[in-house]
Amino acid sequence: MITNDIYGALQLLVVGMVTVFIVLLIVINLGKLLIWAVNKWAPEETVAKKAAPAAKAIASIDATTKAIIDATISQITGGKGRAEKITKL
Amino acid sequence: MTAFSDIIAANGTYLVMYLLAFVLLYLGIVKHFEPLLLIPIAFGVLIANFPGGDMGVYQADEAGRIINAEGKVLAENIWEMSLPQIAHDLGLMNFLYYMLIKTGFLPPVIFMGVGALTDFGPMLRNLRLSIFGAAAQMGIFAVLIIAVASGQFNIKEAASLGIIGGADGPTAIFTTIKLAPHLLAPIAIAAYSYMALVPVIIPLVVKMLCSEKELKINMKEQDKLFPSANKIKNEKVIKIIFPIAVTTIVALLVPSAVSLIGMLMFGNLLKEIGSDTSRLFDTISNSIMNTATVFLGLCVGATMTVQAFLNWTTIGIVVGGFFAFGLSIASGICMVKITNLFSKKKINPLIGATGLSAVPMASRVCNEISTKYDPKNHVLNYCMSSNVSGVIGSAVAAGVLISFLQGMTL
Repeated sequence: MITNDIYGALQLLVVGMVTVFIVLLIVINLGKLLIWAVNKWAPEETVAKKAAPAAKAIASIDATTKAIIDATISQITGGKGRAEKITKL
Repeated sequence: MTAFSDIIAANGTYLVMYLLAFVLLYLGIVKHFEPLLLIPIAFGVLIANFPGGDMGVYQADEAGRIINAEGKVLAENIWEMSLPQIAHDLGLMNFLYYMLIKTGFLPPVIFMGVGALTDFGPMLRNLRLSIFGAAAQMGIFAVLIIAVASGQFNIKEAASLGIIGGADGPTAIFTTIKLAPHLLAPIAIAAYSYMALVPVIIPLVVKMLCSEKELKINMKEQDKLFPSANKIKNEKVIKIIFPIAVTTIVALLVPSAVSLIGMLMFGNLLKEIGSDTSRLFDTISNSIMNTATVFLGLCVGATMTVQAFLNWTTIGIVVGGFFAFGLSIASGICMVKITNLFSKKKINPLIGATGLSAVPMASRVCNEISTKYDPKNHVLNYCMSSNVSGVIGSAVAAGVLISFLQGMTL
Protein backbone atom coordinates (compact mmCIF):
# COMPACT_ATOMS: atom_id res chain seq x y z
CA MET A 1 0.00 0.00 0.00
CA ILE A 2 2.77 2.44 1.05
CA THR A 3 4.79 1.47 -2.05
CA ASN A 4 1.79 2.32 -4.23
CA ASP A 5 1.36 5.62 -2.42
CA ILE A 6 5.08 6.47 -2.85
CA TYR A 7 4.80 5.67 -6.54
CA GLY A 8 1.70 7.92 -6.73
CA ALA A 9 3.52 10.68 -4.84
CA LEU A 10 6.50 10.50 -7.22
CA GLN A 11 4.09 10.72 -10.16
CA LEU A 12 2.48 13.77 -8.55
CA LEU A 13 5.92 15.37 -8.05
CA VAL A 14 6.69 15.07 -11.75
CA VAL A 15 3.22 16.00 -13.05
CA GLY A 16 2.76 18.80 -10.49
CA MET A 17 6.10 20.51 -11.00
CA VAL A 18 5.90 20.19 -14.79
CA THR A 19 2.36 21.65 -14.75
CA VAL A 20 3.37 24.55 -12.49
CA PHE A 21 6.40 25.36 -14.69
CA ILE A 22 4.36 25.10 -17.90
CA VAL A 23 1.55 27.32 -16.56
CA LEU A 24 3.97 29.98 -15.31
CA LEU A 25 5.99 29.86 -18.55
CA ILE A 26 2.74 30.39 -20.44
CA VAL A 27 1.81 33.27 -18.09
CA ILE A 28 5.28 34.83 -18.62
CA ASN A 29 5.05 34.55 -22.41
CA LEU A 30 1.46 35.75 -22.32
CA GLY A 31 2.67 38.80 -20.41
CA LYS A 32 5.39 39.42 -23.01
CA LEU A 33 2.85 39.04 -25.81
CA LEU A 34 0.47 41.48 -24.09
CA ILE A 35 3.26 44.03 -23.58
CA TRP A 36 4.24 43.74 -27.25
CA ALA A 37 0.64 44.03 -28.46
CA VAL A 38 -0.27 46.92 -26.16
CA ASN A 39 2.95 48.78 -26.98
CA LYS A 40 2.12 48.39 -30.66
CA TRP A 41 -1.58 49.23 -30.70
CA ALA A 42 -2.62 51.02 -27.51
CA PRO A 43 -1.83 54.72 -27.10
CA GLU A 44 0.98 55.57 -24.71
CA GLU A 45 -0.15 56.27 -21.15
CA THR A 46 -0.25 59.99 -20.37
CA VAL A 47 0.45 61.09 -16.84
CA ALA A 48 -1.92 63.91 -15.82
CA LYS A 49 -0.07 67.02 -14.65
CA LYS A 50 -0.70 67.89 -11.06
CA ALA A 51 -2.37 71.23 -10.33
CA ALA A 52 0.11 73.80 -9.02
CA PRO A 53 -0.20 74.09 -5.26
CA ALA A 54 -1.39 77.34 -3.72
CA ALA A 55 1.93 77.90 -2.00
CA LYS A 56 3.64 77.99 -5.40
CA ALA A 57 1.22 80.71 -6.57
CA ILE A 58 2.11 82.77 -3.55
CA ALA A 59 5.83 82.19 -4.18
CA SER A 60 5.48 83.62 -7.71
CA ILE A 61 4.60 87.03 -6.23
CA ASP A 62 7.69 88.99 -5.21
CA ALA A 63 8.50 89.10 -1.50
CA THR A 64 7.88 92.86 -1.01
CA THR A 65 4.38 92.74 -2.55
CA LYS A 66 3.53 89.65 -0.46
CA ALA A 67 4.70 91.38 2.74
CA ILE A 68 2.54 94.43 1.94
CA ILE A 69 -0.55 92.26 1.27
CA ASP A 70 0.05 90.24 4.47
CA ALA A 71 0.41 93.42 6.52
CA THR A 72 -2.79 94.91 5.02
CA ILE A 73 -4.84 91.76 5.72
CA SER A 74 -3.43 91.61 9.24
CA GLN A 75 -4.41 95.23 9.90
CA ILE A 76 -7.95 94.85 8.49
CA THR A 77 -8.71 91.52 10.28
CA GLY A 78 -6.95 92.37 13.53
CA GLY A 79 -4.28 89.67 12.97
CA LYS A 80 -6.83 86.86 12.45
CA GLY A 81 -6.74 86.64 8.64
CA ARG A 82 -3.99 85.43 6.29
CA ALA A 83 -3.45 85.11 2.54
CA GLU A 84 -3.74 81.57 1.20
CA LYS A 85 -3.65 82.28 -2.51
CA ILE A 86 -2.53 85.39 -4.41
CA THR A 87 -3.09 85.55 -8.16
CA LYS A 88 -2.28 88.31 -10.64
CA LEU A 89 -5.29 89.56 -12.61
CA MET B 1 -23.22 23.80 36.17
CA THR B 2 -19.68 25.10 35.63
CA ALA B 3 -16.99 23.71 33.34
CA PHE B 4 -14.52 23.04 36.19
CA SER B 5 -15.39 19.39 36.83
CA ASP B 6 -14.96 18.45 33.14
CA ILE B 7 -11.71 20.39 32.83
CA ILE B 8 -10.26 18.68 35.92
CA ALA B 9 -11.46 15.25 34.78
CA ALA B 10 -9.67 15.68 31.44
CA ASN B 11 -6.21 15.50 33.09
CA GLY B 12 -4.99 18.88 31.93
CA THR B 13 -5.63 18.40 28.19
CA TYR B 14 -7.94 21.43 28.13
CA LEU B 15 -5.24 23.46 29.88
CA VAL B 16 -2.84 22.64 27.02
CA MET B 17 -5.39 24.04 24.57
CA TYR B 18 -5.86 27.21 26.66
CA LEU B 19 -2.08 27.62 26.79
CA LEU B 20 -1.91 27.24 23.01
CA ALA B 21 -4.69 29.84 22.59
CA PHE B 22 -2.90 32.27 24.91
CA VAL B 23 0.42 31.79 23.06
CA LEU B 24 -1.28 32.47 19.71
CA LEU B 25 -3.05 35.52 21.19
CA TYR B 26 0.29 36.74 22.55
CA LEU B 27 1.96 36.32 19.13
CA GLY B 28 -0.88 38.18 17.43
CA ILE B 29 -1.42 41.00 19.93
CA VAL B 30 2.06 41.63 21.35
CA LYS B 31 4.39 40.38 18.60
CA HIS B 32 2.09 41.52 15.75
CA PHE B 33 2.54 38.20 13.86
CA GLU B 34 -0.34 38.19 11.31
CA PRO B 35 -2.76 39.67 13.92
CA LEU B 36 -5.71 39.75 11.50
CA LEU B 37 -5.59 35.97 11.28
CA LEU B 38 -3.92 34.73 14.43
CA ILE B 39 -6.25 36.60 16.80
CA PRO B 40 -9.53 35.17 15.39
CA ILE B 41 -7.93 31.70 15.18
CA ALA B 42 -6.61 31.91 18.74
CA PHE B 43 -9.96 33.11 20.08
CA GLY B 44 -11.69 30.31 18.16
CA VAL B 45 -9.36 27.81 19.89
CA LEU B 46 -10.17 29.33 23.27
CA ILE B 47 -13.97 29.31 22.97
CA ALA B 48 -14.04 25.85 21.36
CA ASN B 49 -12.43 24.23 24.39
CA PHE B 50 -14.83 25.02 27.21
CA PRO B 51 -16.78 21.85 28.02
CA GLY B 52 -20.50 22.43 27.64
CA GLY B 53 -20.00 25.56 25.53
CA ASP B 54 -20.93 23.79 22.27
CA MET B 55 -18.55 26.01 20.32
CA GLY B 56 -16.14 23.32 19.13
CA VAL B 57 -16.46 22.00 15.59
CA TYR B 58 -17.20 18.30 15.20
CA GLN B 59 -15.62 16.54 12.24
CA ALA B 60 -17.89 14.13 10.39
CA ASP B 61 -16.51 10.81 9.15
CA GLU B 62 -16.76 9.71 5.50
CA ALA B 63 -20.38 8.63 6.00
CA GLY B 64 -21.28 11.96 7.60
CA ARG B 65 -21.60 10.51 11.10
CA ILE B 66 -20.59 12.65 14.06
CA ILE B 67 -19.53 11.05 17.33
CA ASN B 68 -18.43 13.08 20.34
CA ALA B 69 -15.55 12.32 22.76
CA GLU B 70 -17.79 10.18 24.97
CA GLY B 71 -18.76 7.99 22.00
CA LYS B 72 -22.29 9.40 21.74
CA VAL B 73 -23.64 9.71 18.18
CA LEU B 74 -24.63 13.37 17.65
CA ALA B 75 -25.65 13.07 13.99
CA GLU B 76 -26.21 9.99 11.83
CA ASN B 77 -25.58 11.81 8.55
CA ILE B 78 -24.74 15.49 8.67
CA TRP B 79 -24.99 15.81 4.86
CA GLU B 80 -28.72 15.16 5.11
CA MET B 81 -29.25 17.73 7.86
CA SER B 82 -30.51 21.22 7.09
CA LEU B 83 -28.46 24.21 8.26
CA PRO B 84 -31.02 25.27 10.92
CA GLN B 85 -30.98 21.70 12.21
CA ILE B 86 -27.15 21.75 12.41
CA ALA B 87 -27.33 25.05 14.31
CA HIS B 88 -29.95 23.61 16.69
CA ASP B 89 -28.34 20.21 17.30
CA LEU B 90 -24.61 21.00 17.09
CA GLY B 91 -24.36 24.70 17.94
CA LEU B 92 -23.54 27.98 16.24
CA MET B 93 -19.93 27.24 15.34
CA ASN B 94 -20.81 24.00 13.54
CA PHE B 95 -23.47 25.91 11.59
CA LEU B 96 -20.84 28.45 10.46
CA TYR B 97 -18.23 25.76 9.76
CA TYR B 98 -20.45 23.50 7.66
CA MET B 99 -21.98 26.45 5.80
CA LEU B 100 -18.84 28.54 5.12
CA ILE B 101 -15.79 26.29 5.36
CA LYS B 102 -16.90 22.77 4.57
CA THR B 103 -18.58 23.95 1.39
CA GLY B 104 -15.28 25.53 0.30
CA PHE B 105 -16.96 28.95 0.16
CA LEU B 106 -14.58 31.14 2.16
CA PRO B 107 -11.11 30.39 0.67
CA PRO B 108 -12.08 31.58 -2.86
CA VAL B 109 -13.79 34.64 -1.32
CA ILE B 110 -10.55 35.47 0.50
CA PHE B 111 -8.64 34.92 -2.76
CA MET B 112 -10.94 37.50 -4.36
CA GLY B 113 -9.94 39.98 -1.65
CA VAL B 114 -6.27 39.07 -2.03
CA GLY B 115 -6.56 39.70 -5.77
CA ALA B 116 -8.03 43.13 -5.09
CA LEU B 117 -5.03 43.93 -2.91
CA THR B 118 -2.43 42.53 -5.32
CA ASP B 119 -0.51 44.59 -7.83
CA PHE B 120 0.73 42.59 -10.82
CA GLY B 121 2.80 45.60 -11.95
CA PRO B 122 6.13 44.39 -10.47
CA MET B 123 5.54 40.96 -12.01
CA LEU B 124 4.80 42.42 -15.46
CA ARG B 125 7.88 44.67 -15.26
CA ASN B 126 10.12 41.70 -14.32
CA LEU B 127 8.48 38.77 -16.10
CA ARG B 128 11.73 36.79 -16.26
CA LEU B 129 11.83 36.55 -12.46
CA SER B 130 8.32 35.10 -12.24
CA ILE B 131 9.57 31.60 -13.03
CA PHE B 132 11.01 31.33 -9.52
CA GLY B 133 7.43 31.23 -8.29
CA ALA B 134 7.27 27.76 -9.89
CA ALA B 135 10.58 26.50 -8.46
CA ALA B 136 9.48 27.35 -4.93
CA GLN B 137 6.58 24.87 -5.13
CA MET B 138 9.06 21.99 -4.86
CA GLY B 139 8.60 21.85 -1.07
CA ILE B 140 4.94 20.86 -1.54
CA PHE B 141 5.73 17.76 -3.56
CA ALA B 142 8.93 16.83 -1.69
CA VAL B 143 7.10 16.75 1.65
CA LEU B 144 4.24 14.85 0.02
CA ILE B 145 6.71 12.03 -0.76
CA ILE B 146 8.37 12.20 2.68
CA ALA B 147 4.99 12.12 4.45
CA VAL B 148 3.80 9.11 2.44
CA ALA B 149 7.12 7.32 3.01
CA SER B 150 6.81 7.87 6.78
CA GLY B 151 3.71 5.64 6.74
CA GLN B 152 1.89 8.00 9.09
CA PHE B 153 -0.17 9.69 6.35
CA ASN B 154 -2.09 8.37 3.35
CA ILE B 155 -1.52 10.15 0.03
CA LYS B 156 -4.48 12.55 0.43
CA GLU B 157 -3.37 13.56 3.94
CA ALA B 158 0.23 13.90 2.73
CA ALA B 159 -0.88 16.21 -0.10
CA SER B 160 -2.75 18.39 2.38
CA LEU B 161 0.36 18.49 4.55
CA GLY B 162 2.63 19.30 1.63
CA ILE B 163 0.51 22.25 0.49
CA ILE B 164 1.65 24.10 3.64
CA GLY B 165 4.87 24.60 1.63
CA GLY B 166 2.91 26.85 -0.73
CA ALA B 167 2.80 29.37 2.15
CA ASP B 168 -0.73 30.34 1.21
CA GLY B 169 -3.38 29.98 3.92
CA PRO B 170 -6.55 29.95 1.77
CA THR B 171 -4.94 27.49 -0.69
CA ALA B 172 -3.93 25.18 2.17
CA ILE B 173 -7.45 25.29 3.62
CA PHE B 174 -9.12 24.79 0.23
CA THR B 175 -6.94 21.77 -0.59
CA THR B 176 -7.41 20.22 2.86
CA ILE B 177 -11.20 20.62 2.72
CA LYS B 178 -11.18 18.71 -0.56
CA LEU B 179 -8.66 15.99 0.37
CA ALA B 180 -8.42 15.52 4.14
CA PRO B 181 -11.03 17.61 5.98
CA HIS B 182 -10.34 15.87 9.30
CA LEU B 183 -6.86 17.48 9.28
CA LEU B 184 -8.12 21.01 8.62
CA ALA B 185 -7.38 22.34 12.10
CA PRO B 186 -3.70 21.41 12.47
CA ILE B 187 -2.94 22.17 8.81
CA ALA B 188 -4.55 25.62 8.94
CA ILE B 189 -2.79 26.43 12.19
CA ALA B 190 0.59 25.20 10.86
CA ALA B 191 0.15 27.10 7.57
CA TYR B 192 -0.77 30.40 9.23
CA SER B 193 1.80 30.01 12.01
CA TYR B 194 4.64 29.45 9.54
CA MET B 195 3.38 32.35 7.41
CA ALA B 196 3.55 34.48 10.55
CA LEU B 197 7.07 33.16 11.13
CA VAL B 198 8.32 34.14 7.65
CA PRO B 199 10.60 36.81 9.21
CA VAL B 200 12.35 34.00 11.10
CA ILE B 201 12.31 31.13 8.58
CA ILE B 202 13.50 32.97 5.44
CA PRO B 203 16.60 34.51 7.07
CA LEU B 204 17.43 31.09 8.54
CA VAL B 205 17.33 29.32 5.14
CA VAL B 206 19.04 32.24 3.36
CA LYS B 207 21.89 32.18 5.90
CA MET B 208 22.36 28.46 5.32
CA LEU B 209 22.41 28.64 1.53
CA CYS B 210 23.65 32.07 0.37
CA SER B 211 27.04 33.77 0.50
CA GLU B 212 27.52 37.48 1.26
CA LYS B 213 28.68 38.04 -2.32
CA GLU B 214 25.44 36.58 -3.70
CA LEU B 215 23.28 38.65 -1.35
CA LYS B 216 25.07 41.81 -2.48
CA ILE B 217 24.03 41.33 -6.13
CA ASN B 218 22.42 44.66 -7.01
CA MET B 219 19.41 44.13 -9.28
CA LYS B 220 19.19 47.76 -10.41
CA GLU B 221 22.84 47.71 -11.52
CA GLN B 222 22.19 44.45 -13.37
CA ASP B 223 19.21 46.11 -15.08
CA LYS B 224 21.44 49.00 -16.21
CA LEU B 225 24.07 46.58 -17.53
CA PHE B 226 21.51 44.35 -19.26
CA PRO B 227 18.34 46.41 -19.89
CA SER B 228 15.03 44.58 -20.29
CA ALA B 229 13.54 44.28 -23.79
CA ASN B 230 9.99 44.53 -22.41
CA LYS B 231 9.48 48.23 -21.66
CA ILE B 232 5.80 48.87 -20.88
CA LYS B 233 4.27 51.94 -22.51
CA ASN B 234 0.73 51.56 -21.22
CA GLU B 235 0.65 49.62 -17.96
CA LYS B 236 -3.03 50.33 -17.23
CA VAL B 237 -4.26 48.51 -20.36
CA ILE B 238 -1.97 45.53 -19.74
CA LYS B 239 -3.05 45.29 -16.12
CA ILE B 240 -6.71 45.09 -17.24
CA ILE B 241 -6.14 42.47 -19.94
CA PHE B 242 -3.72 40.36 -17.83
CA PRO B 243 -6.19 38.92 -15.24
CA ILE B 244 -8.70 38.06 -17.98
CA ALA B 245 -6.05 36.32 -20.09
CA VAL B 246 -4.47 34.42 -17.16
CA THR B 247 -7.86 33.17 -15.94
CA THR B 248 -8.70 31.90 -19.43
CA ILE B 249 -5.36 30.12 -19.86
CA VAL B 250 -5.29 28.55 -16.37
CA ALA B 251 -8.95 27.49 -16.70
CA LEU B 252 -8.11 25.64 -19.88
CA LEU B 253 -4.98 23.95 -18.47
CA VAL B 254 -5.91 23.26 -14.82
CA PRO B 255 -9.72 23.59 -14.43
CA SER B 256 -9.61 22.57 -10.75
CA ALA B 257 -7.55 25.70 -9.94
CA VAL B 258 -10.15 28.06 -11.39
CA SER B 259 -12.04 28.60 -8.16
CA LEU B 260 -8.86 30.06 -6.65
CA ILE B 261 -7.15 31.70 -9.66
CA GLY B 262 -10.47 32.88 -11.14
CA MET B 263 -11.49 34.66 -7.94
CA LEU B 264 -7.97 36.08 -7.47
CA MET B 265 -8.00 37.54 -10.96
CA PHE B 266 -11.61 38.76 -10.66
CA GLY B 267 -10.66 40.76 -7.56
CA ASN B 268 -7.61 42.12 -9.35
CA LEU B 269 -9.62 43.06 -12.43
CA LEU B 270 -12.06 45.12 -10.34
CA LYS B 271 -9.07 46.95 -8.84
CA GLU B 272 -7.39 47.64 -12.18
CA ILE B 273 -10.50 48.89 -14.01
CA GLY B 274 -10.50 51.86 -11.67
CA SER B 275 -13.29 54.36 -11.04
CA ASP B 276 -16.02 52.41 -12.94
CA THR B 277 -15.78 49.51 -10.46
CA SER B 278 -14.35 51.35 -7.49
CA ARG B 279 -17.43 50.60 -5.35
CA LEU B 280 -17.09 46.86 -5.98
CA PHE B 281 -13.34 47.02 -5.39
CA ASP B 282 -13.91 48.85 -2.12
CA THR B 283 -16.46 46.23 -1.00
CA ILE B 284 -14.38 43.15 -1.78
CA SER B 285 -11.13 44.56 -0.44
CA ASN B 286 -12.68 45.79 2.80
CA SER B 287 -16.14 44.57 3.89
CA ILE B 288 -16.16 41.13 2.25
CA MET B 289 -12.47 40.39 2.88
CA ASN B 290 -12.71 41.40 6.53
CA THR B 291 -15.94 39.46 7.12
CA ALA B 292 -14.50 36.37 5.45
CA THR B 293 -11.29 36.64 7.49
CA VAL B 294 -13.20 36.89 10.78
CA PHE B 295 -15.34 33.81 10.10
CA LEU B 296 -12.50 31.80 8.58
CA GLY B 297 -10.27 32.49 11.56
CA LEU B 298 -12.93 31.72 14.16
CA CYS B 299 -14.10 28.53 12.43
CA VAL B 300 -10.56 27.23 11.86
CA GLY B 301 -9.73 27.94 15.48
CA ALA B 302 -12.90 26.19 16.62
CA THR B 303 -11.85 23.00 14.82
CA MET B 304 -8.91 22.75 17.25
CA THR B 305 -10.61 20.84 20.00
CA VAL B 306 -8.76 18.61 22.46
CA GLN B 307 -9.86 15.49 20.60
CA ALA B 308 -8.82 16.80 17.17
CA PHE B 309 -5.54 18.43 18.11
CA LEU B 310 -3.66 16.56 20.82
CA ASN B 311 -2.35 13.57 18.89
CA TRP B 312 0.77 12.42 17.00
CA THR B 313 -0.69 13.29 13.60
CA THR B 314 -0.75 16.95 14.61
CA ILE B 315 2.89 16.83 15.71
CA GLY B 316 3.74 15.19 12.36
CA ILE B 317 1.94 18.01 10.54
CA VAL B 318 3.76 20.71 12.51
CA VAL B 319 7.17 19.14 11.73
CA GLY B 320 6.28 18.29 8.11
CA GLY B 321 4.87 21.77 7.52
CA PHE B 322 8.14 23.34 8.64
CA PHE B 323 10.10 21.14 6.21
CA ALA B 324 7.68 21.97 3.38
CA PHE B 325 8.13 25.68 4.06
CA GLY B 326 11.92 25.45 4.34
CA LEU B 327 12.26 23.27 1.22
CA SER B 328 10.14 25.68 -0.83
CA ILE B 329 12.41 28.60 0.11
CA ALA B 330 15.53 26.49 -0.51
CA SER B 331 14.39 25.26 -3.93
CA GLY B 332 13.65 28.85 -5.05
CA ILE B 333 17.16 29.91 -3.97
CA CYS B 334 18.75 26.89 -5.71
CA MET B 335 16.91 27.67 -8.95
CA VAL B 336 18.36 31.22 -8.89
CA LYS B 337 21.84 29.82 -8.28
CA ILE B 338 21.47 27.45 -11.23
CA THR B 339 20.20 30.30 -13.45
CA ASN B 340 23.17 32.46 -12.41
CA LEU B 341 25.55 29.73 -13.64
CA PHE B 342 24.28 30.14 -17.20
CA SER B 343 23.26 33.80 -17.34
CA LYS B 344 25.36 36.96 -17.67
CA LYS B 345 22.66 38.99 -15.91
CA LYS B 346 23.02 37.86 -12.29
CA ILE B 347 20.01 37.53 -9.98
CA ASN B 348 20.01 38.03 -6.22
CA PRO B 349 19.08 34.64 -4.65
CA LEU B 350 16.63 36.43 -2.36
CA ILE B 351 14.31 36.66 -5.38
CA GLY B 352 14.16 32.85 -5.39
CA ALA B 353 13.43 32.80 -1.66
CA THR B 354 10.25 34.81 -2.24
CA GLY B 355 8.90 32.30 -4.77
CA LEU B 356 6.64 30.91 -2.09
CA SER B 357 3.48 32.97 -1.58
CA ALA B 358 3.18 34.84 1.79
CA VAL B 359 2.63 38.12 -0.11
CA PRO B 360 3.99 40.70 0.66
CA MET B 361 5.69 39.74 3.91
CA ALA B 362 8.25 37.47 2.21
CA SER B 363 9.30 40.32 -0.11
CA ARG B 364 9.58 42.78 2.76
CA VAL B 365 11.74 40.34 4.75
CA CYS B 366 14.05 39.74 1.76
CA ASN B 367 14.36 43.47 1.16
CA GLU B 368 15.43 43.89 4.78
CA ILE B 369 18.07 41.17 4.34
CA SER B 370 19.49 42.74 1.16
CA THR B 371 19.65 46.25 2.65
CA LYS B 372 21.46 44.81 5.67
CA TYR B 373 24.31 43.74 3.37
CA ASP B 374 24.11 46.84 1.14
CA PRO B 375 21.86 49.74 2.27
CA LYS B 376 21.39 50.87 -1.36
CA ASN B 377 20.32 47.46 -2.64
CA HIS B 378 16.50 47.51 -2.56
CA VAL B 379 15.12 44.27 -4.06
CA LEU B 380 11.47 44.69 -2.99
CA ASN B 381 10.04 45.22 -6.49
CA TYR B 382 12.00 42.31 -7.92
CA CYS B 383 10.99 40.03 -5.05
CA MET B 384 7.32 40.96 -5.57
CA SER B 385 7.55 39.49 -9.08
CA SER B 386 8.37 35.97 -7.90
CA ASN B 387 6.22 36.45 -4.79
CA VAL B 388 3.05 37.20 -6.81
CA SER B 389 3.79 34.45 -9.33
CA GLY B 390 4.19 32.14 -6.31
CA VAL B 391 0.50 32.74 -5.51
CA ILE B 392 -0.40 31.53 -9.00
CA GLY B 393 2.08 28.65 -8.68
CA SER B 394 0.72 27.38 -5.38
CA ALA B 395 -2.88 27.61 -6.63
CA VAL B 396 -1.93 25.58 -9.72
CA ALA B 397 -0.11 23.02 -7.54
CA ALA B 398 -3.24 22.77 -5.38
CA GLY B 399 -5.33 22.31 -8.53
CA VAL B 400 -3.10 19.44 -9.67
CA LEU B 401 -3.29 17.73 -6.26
CA ILE B 402 -7.08 18.09 -6.08
CA SER B 403 -7.70 16.91 -9.64
CA PHE B 404 -5.50 13.82 -9.16
CA LEU B 405 -6.50 12.83 -5.64
CA GLN B 406 -10.06 14.00 -4.97
CA GLY B 407 -11.78 11.11 -6.68
CA MET B 408 -9.28 8.52 -5.45
CA THR B 409 -10.57 5.85 -3.06
CA LEU B 410 -8.10 4.65 -0.42
